[in-house]
Amino acid sequence: MQIKLCQSLLVAITLAVATPSIAATTLRIATVSNPDMERMQGLSAAFTSANPDIKFEWIVLDENTLRQRVTTDIATSTGRFDIVTIGSYEAPIWAERGWLSALDKMPEGYDVDDLLPTIREGLSFNGKLYAAPFYGESSFTMYRTDLFDEAGLEMPAAPTWDFIRKAASAISKKRSDTYGVCLRGKPGWGENVALITAMANSYGARWFDNEWRPQFDSEAWAGAVSEYVSLIKDFGPPDAVSNGYSETLQLFKHGKCAIWIDATVAASSITDPKESSVAGSVGFALAPDKGREKGSNWLWAWALAISSGSEHQEAARRFVAWATSRQYAELVAAREGWVNAPPGTRKSLYQNPAYLEAAPFATMVLASIEAADPEHPTVDEVPYTGIQYVAIPEFPGMATAVGAQIAKAAAGKISPSEALKNAQWVTGKVIKRARFLKE
Amino acid sequence: MTDNIRDHQGAIAEIDDEQLPVPRHRLHGATHFLGLYGSEHVAATEFVIGAAFVAMGATIQDILVGLLIGNTLAAISFWLITAPIAVKTRLSLYTYIEHNMGDMVSRLYNGANVLIFVAISAAMITVSATAVRALFDIPPQTDPYPTSLYFVIIAASASVIAVLVAYHGFNLVAEFATICTPWLMVMFTAGGMVLIPSLNETLTGYTTLASFSDFISLAGTTVFTGINAEGEPGIGLVEVIGFAWAANTFAHFGLVDMALLRYAKKSIYGLCTATGMMFGHYIAWISAALMGAATASIMKLSIAVVSPGDVAYYALGATGFVIVVIAGWTTANPNLYRAGLAAQAVFPTIARQKVTLAVGAVVVIGSCFPFIYRQILPILAYAGLVLVPIGGIVFAEQHIFPRLGYKTNWHRLKGLKDNKPALLTWAICLVFGFGLDALGIIYFVYLFLPTWVVAIVCYTLLAKAAGADKSYPEAEQREQEFDNRVKQYHARLAAEENQVPVKDSSALTKIIRAVWIIIGLIVPAVLAWRVLFNSPDLYEYYVNREVFYDVTIWCTLVYFVFAWWDLQRSKALQRAGQPADVAVAAK
Repeated sequence: MQIKLCQSLLVAITLAVATPSIAATTLRIATVSNPDMERMQGLSAAFTSANPDIKFEWIVLDENTLRQRVTTDIATSTGRFDIVTIGSYEAPIWAERGWLSALDKMPEGYDVDDLLPTIREGLSFNGKLYAAPFYGESSFTMYRTDLFDEAGLEMPAAPTWDFIRKAASAISKKRSDTYGVCLRGKPGWGENVALITAMANSYGARWFDNEWRPQFDSEAWAGAVSEYVSLIKDFGPPDAVSNGYSETLQLFKHGKCAIWIDATVAASSITDPKESSVAGSVGFALAPDKGREKGSNWLWAWALAISSGSEHQEAARRFVAWATSRQYAELVAAREGWVNAPPGTRKSLYQNPAYLEAAPFATMVLASIEAADPEHPTVDEVPYTGIQYVAIPEFPGMATAVGAQIAKAAAGKISPSEALKNAQWVTGKVIKRARFLKE
Repeated sequence: MTDNIRDHQGAIAEIDDEQLPVPRHRLHGATHFLGLYGSEHVAATEFVIGAAFVAMGATIQDILVGLLIGNTLAAISFWLITAPIAVKTRLSLYTYIEHNMGDMVSRLYNGANVLIFVAISAAMITVSATAVRALFDIPPQTDPYPTSLYFVIIAASASVIAVLVAYHGFNLVAEFATICTPWLMVMFTAGGMVLIPSLNETLTGYTTLASFSDFISLAGTTVFTGINAEGEPGIGLVEVIGFAWAANTFAHFGLVDMALLRYAKKSIYGLCTATGMMFGHYIAWISAALMGAATASIMKLSIAVVSPGDVAYYALGATGFVIVVIAGWTTANPNLYRAGLAAQAVFPTIARQKVTLAVGAVVVIGSCFPFIYRQILPILAYAGLVLVPIGGIVFAEQHIFPRLGYKTNWHRLKGLKDNKPALLTWAICLVFGFGLDALGIIYFVYLFLPTWVVAIVCYTLLAKAAGADKSYPEAEQREQEFDNRVKQYHARLAAEENQVPVKDSSALTKIIRAVWIIIGLIVPAVLAWRVLFNSPDLYEYYVNREVFYDVTIWCTLVYFVFAWWDLQRSKALQRAGQPADVAVAAK
């Protein structure tokens, strides 16, 4: 462990000295308050000891406040923040507006080709990387191996939605204390809409055609939403529309779900015996598909970007390179174990035997991330990027409205067809206004 | 000119009305000023100023309390400083300066006014252009300078049209502006109501507000956060009070609004300015800020750069374009006209067309720069600083001089060409005010206060030295004779002019009024209320909002058709005397 730490520090120093020294600089970094980012803040002393000419001022904010504050700063080019933490959704939008500096001149040794291609693509605009991925995720199928064995089922590596229904049905019949399948039901663009959009992609559906006409009146959407509602109603927990990611995670960890299709980030939690009562009997498979060319796996990343208004571009680049480097992951591993290394960004992590041993789900996570294609998220062509979202500014509002309709259908208050009819209407109205203003 | 008018031995009737005090029979009651100030201070500037408070980082508590105090101080200033002088002299400030301060001060004063009115006009035309830019697929102008040639073309074209309208059709636009007030008030309020649920949803995940404290929490977290656009702690209570008070410095301490308040029967009508202050500079500013924050959130832009056109479009749909263009033009129009008049006074020997053209050209160039409209609040504050010394000088003449036994109109009595003490006082005050600003001792919005005091003290001392405390019996006799002739002329005028107000109580008029009040104002207000209080989730919100958008544009059309019809009928009635179906009633 000590040797690895020394190696990591050595590489960090090498990365630092590979770039010309600059005058003493204070970098202002705006970041989201989550364990991974807080860990980065804690480890940043390793960077500053190798780069004594750089100091930090951290601004750690919750997600909503961060989005507001950073948007204001970056839109006005005031350069208050040199480095900002953004997600895959913001990266292409902000890059298009010229708010971010392209990361095409990273310090030597950064090894940009080691980044997972799909994650890199999701953070790029017009072929250029604008945000360096710090952490990435996809979605996949998590299931209880013990319940599958009990029911005489075998989960395929790439299940279909039809199989999910069959398995959920079979387990529900056998076990009254376990729900056949748990799916996000809470309305919201980052909740049920993320899942239903990714699911709809696998059915051949899309939000808009190439002329930005909403497509909720398609057969593909009808199939996807009917199946989603049916799975929730027939095999899901009661009051499923109250369950988002966090609530469903708790259900699974307490042995209440036989199958759960959700973010790959959940894997480390449900396989940790300290947290999960079913840690020893969890299996993983790809997110389900419908036999079309697209699966229902999504793609997301938290990333570090440099404000184009920053006066410390070179220093900021050095830090971003360090915090998203292979060596940083090694530093985390040396300090806190491989299972805590930021996942989903670099190929090298998934070639590391130590990590693969610590994270048995790693190969499935990698397969899910690699299978996601944010540039071509749907079977038919679309004018947008993003798999579980549409990378346009108005998406959160319209998607939450759509999510509310689907939640109503899942709760049995309206039919799936009525939900889709309403989704078609609201999406049409919002996009019409957005396209009219054409930012 | 001063002496020519006062020495005029011919018919007083030949003198331009503007050069004479307002006759008693043309004075107005309190309701006139309540309406007038309501309309004067609900304009396109409010869109910009509301957002400016957000960008400057005021907290919601400071906004609610500070604007209340600042606007109360402004209303009190109108009441205690502007109105008494206006009522006493019955002259506009321009005429007062011309009569009492001579040609040089008059020219310089008008020159300063040209710059200020040109800046306001240009800003308002830019605001109108931001609404039109979406129609032509022009990107938002987020920089201080234009970044699109097409935007330059749009802004310049809008300016050229506005200049031509101001030149040829000033009266028509001014008349149209009078009917806009109730509609602007409803739309400003409705716009904020319509976007609150959207803003709340981005913060809390819910579209509904359960209580006023929810509103405070929302506004405090998303709009008036206490953090400015640079991420630093923003302005505090004292600064907010100052901005609200100083936004109209040139009008109250600077006495520009003598032009309006000279028609007041009593000086207490100065308090009627509270309609403008408390609606336009309180509700409309807060509403505009909420609209700006919500639009910025939807468009993923900073409120500091989001354009009034986009804000209005998201708040009011198609009606938003109408409000921005109308509010912009109805503000730009009188300011362009004032700028033209002021410029003519500066260059009396140059042909009026040439002067107007030159002013128009500056406005055209200025309107292409978004920087001007985004800086309108500081521009107004500094404009006040420039003009307030003249207010101090007039205040000294009207309130201090009589108490000291000095002659109020000493300069005229002495027969001097220029009022050099006034010129010197103004120069000292500008050096003092801007010097104080450079030293940074006082926040710039408050600079007008010490500058005003310095003006009073300086002018009192300098005028005494120049002979203000002396007697001029012959000239005073001449003045007295002139004033008597004016009184006689006004008495004759009062007898000739039919000033008995005619009350139109015909059924058709009642129907017309009911239509523009109910369909034009109440229906949009009720629909906005429904959006705010009956949208349990985002989908319902969008449904209610679309209904509001779709119906309100038609309500707007109905409003303007019927309100205009009402106005024209009323005018025709006043012109014709008493038609058969109306009752005559003394006011």
